[in-house]
Amino acid sequence: MSLELENVSQEMLSEAESEKPLGLRAQALRRLRRDPVSVSAFVVLVFLVLAACFGGPLAAHLTGHPPDQQYPDALSAGGQPIGIMSRTYLANGLAHNPHGSLFIFGADSLGRDLLVRVLYGARISLLVATGATALALLLGVSLGLLAGYLGGWVDAAVNRMTETAMAFPNLLLAVGIAVVVGPGLLNVVIIIACFTWYYPARIVRSSTAAAKEMTFVAAAHTMGARPRRILLVHLLPQVWGPLLVYATSIIANNIIFEASLSYLGVGVPPPTPSWGQMLSDAVTSGMYQVDLSLALVPGLALVLTMLSFNLLGDGLHDALDPGATRR
Amino acid sequence: MRRRILNRLGGAVIQVLIVTLFAWLLFYVIARFTGASPAQRIAGKTATTAQIAQVAKLLGLDKPYWQQYLIFLGHLARGNFGFSYVQMRSVSSILWPALRVTASLVFGAAALWMLVAAPIGALGAMRPRSFGDVAGRAVSVVGMSIPVFWLAPMVSYFLAFQPTQGKLLGIPLPGRVTLFPIDGYVDLGTSPGQWAYHLVLPWVTLAIGFAAVYIRYIRTMTSEQLSEDYTRTAKAKGASTTRVLLRHVGRNLLPTVTVLLGADVAYALTGVFFVETVFNLPGIGFTGVSAIENLDYPVITAVVIVSALVAVLSNTIVDLLHVVLDPRLRRLPAK
Repeated sequence: MSLELENVSQEMLSEAESEKPLGLRAQALRRLRRDPVSVSAFVVLVFLVLAACFGGPLAAHLTGHPPDQQYPDALSAGGQPIGIMSRTYLANGLAHNPHGSLFIFGADSLGRDLLVRVLYGARISLLVATGATALALLLGVSLGLLAGYLGGWVDAAVNRMTETAMAFPNLLLAVGIAVVVGPGLLNVVIIIACFTWYYPARIVRSSTAAAKEMTFVAAAHTMGARPRRILLVHLLPQVWGPLLVYATSIIANNIIFEASLSYLGVGVPPPTPSWGQMLSDAVTSGMYQVDLSLALVPGLALVLTMLSFNLLGDGLHDALDPGATRR
Repeated sequence: MRRRILNRLGGAVIQVLIVTLFAWLLFYVIARFTGASPAQRIAGKTATTAQIAQVAKLLGLDKPYWQQYLIFLGHLARGNFGFSYVQMRSVSSILWPALRVTASLVFGAAALWMLVAAPIGALGAMRPRSFGDVAGRAVSVVGMSIPVFWLAPMVSYFLAFQPTQGKLLGIPLPGRVTLFPIDGYVDLGTSPGQWAYHLVLPWVTLAIGFAAVYIRYIRTMTSEQLSEDYTRTAKAKGASTTRVLLRHVGRNLLPTVTVLLGADVAYALTGVFFVETVFNLPGIGFTGVSAIENLDYPVITAVVIVSALVAVLSNTIVDLLHVVLDPRLRRLPAK
């Protein structure tokens, strides 16, 4: 017993000696690293990013199936797509050709390789979601900082804007705009950003308004710092924590947002593969009842991505604010 | 208190005006430059220029824009949403029956997700890090990660379609059965039993995502309340756990949960788009999706405006209810 205690105290001593006191950020990072769930979610996301960058072309190269190429012999005589891990049909479309080309996740109803398409779809999903999130953060953080710091009519105007925007079901309005301006990658990014900037704006506004009253801001002010410096150097770093947690959930939501728009046919136009589009092709044609993998492959990709983002967001939240959920 | 209510109602009116202006600009002004003009759509593809001009005059499209907006507002106020390009009947005659369907779907789902989330969230807060709590939170994070437009076809496939093929969740059944209807809607007035039977799967589908979020809300809020002095006092006075949860904690959560519900009932109107198309329920979402496919602008406009109105209405109602339910708000002066 006493031995154990000794060991522990020595360990603690050596730890205290060897390590400098950790900053808040380093502490948070350490807590995050010790959480197996967050680490696995992070690994999945890294894998996803790699798949989005290189997976599509790599799979297309290895299988020899470009994403938009339609293979008539990947459909049976009855027009059914080949299933998971199947080879193409013989010319009569009745039996599989033992030397035919392998479709690892099967093919869609037009005879395109599902594996290649779902990997290319990851690219579109992440591209749109991160692009829209970056744009939304840029808008939201700037407006939030200004509103929180300046107060007065700027604050009132930004508040009114966010309140009004949040009062409506945003997907519907976004669909309305997308119908009118037409589908397109850039359009989708801008539309999604237009409907998500107010969440970061509110967070940043309230933390800036609170931080503004702190003495260090007054100190900076007395030392002659200009408003721009106070905003960017002193106030902005205060909001990184909550913003980071928020950004992960906004990216996750934007992935769903893009998929919803594509599902409704007003997102990224075909034949560019996107997960929402692939799902809607499978579901609206009813083909998923014939071959479930048509809906399973893009659907599970979406769920896995969302789950990783949600778990990592939770982990970040806990790491930055320990004790909040431990009660 | 009176001023607070008036303020809130004034805010609602402004929001309605903003959304009508937005919808009008989008569908009546911008749409004219990006697609065929309304006159062209109504007159048909074979119409001559003179005929199109005549229709345009009939629709008032030759008037200045501000007059057109006022005319549009006037029509809206009388419940007139114009004429569908595709179905060749008035939009309101399409809309009202659809609203009944959607209301059945959304309110039923809301009741379901509250019934599921309240006990799970409360139990999780009572025994943090117990098996039930961890399981509840895990289910909740998974539920939040499943997009409704994927969940709907999966529920339909595994619970409605597969039994008709002699399987359930992939497990072979003794025979082919119809466990749940694959699609369709029966009006509540026609047969309440059939109404519920046809809506069970859509309710479950729509409710899962919200139940996941509400498990979290309720867990967090309950655990906050449980660490308050008043719950300790109630326990010390010998109140049973059920009584503490229902009479004390529940009563304190009621105003907040009501406000959340008001916002989420409106938010559920987006999920309705996907659930109704998969289960073939002739509601607002179903109408909206087919209107989008056909670029039927008057119907799209109506769906957007009506959904926004429902959102404003439900948010306003719960804000007013909040004042009724939370006595503290009645004493404070309005900001």
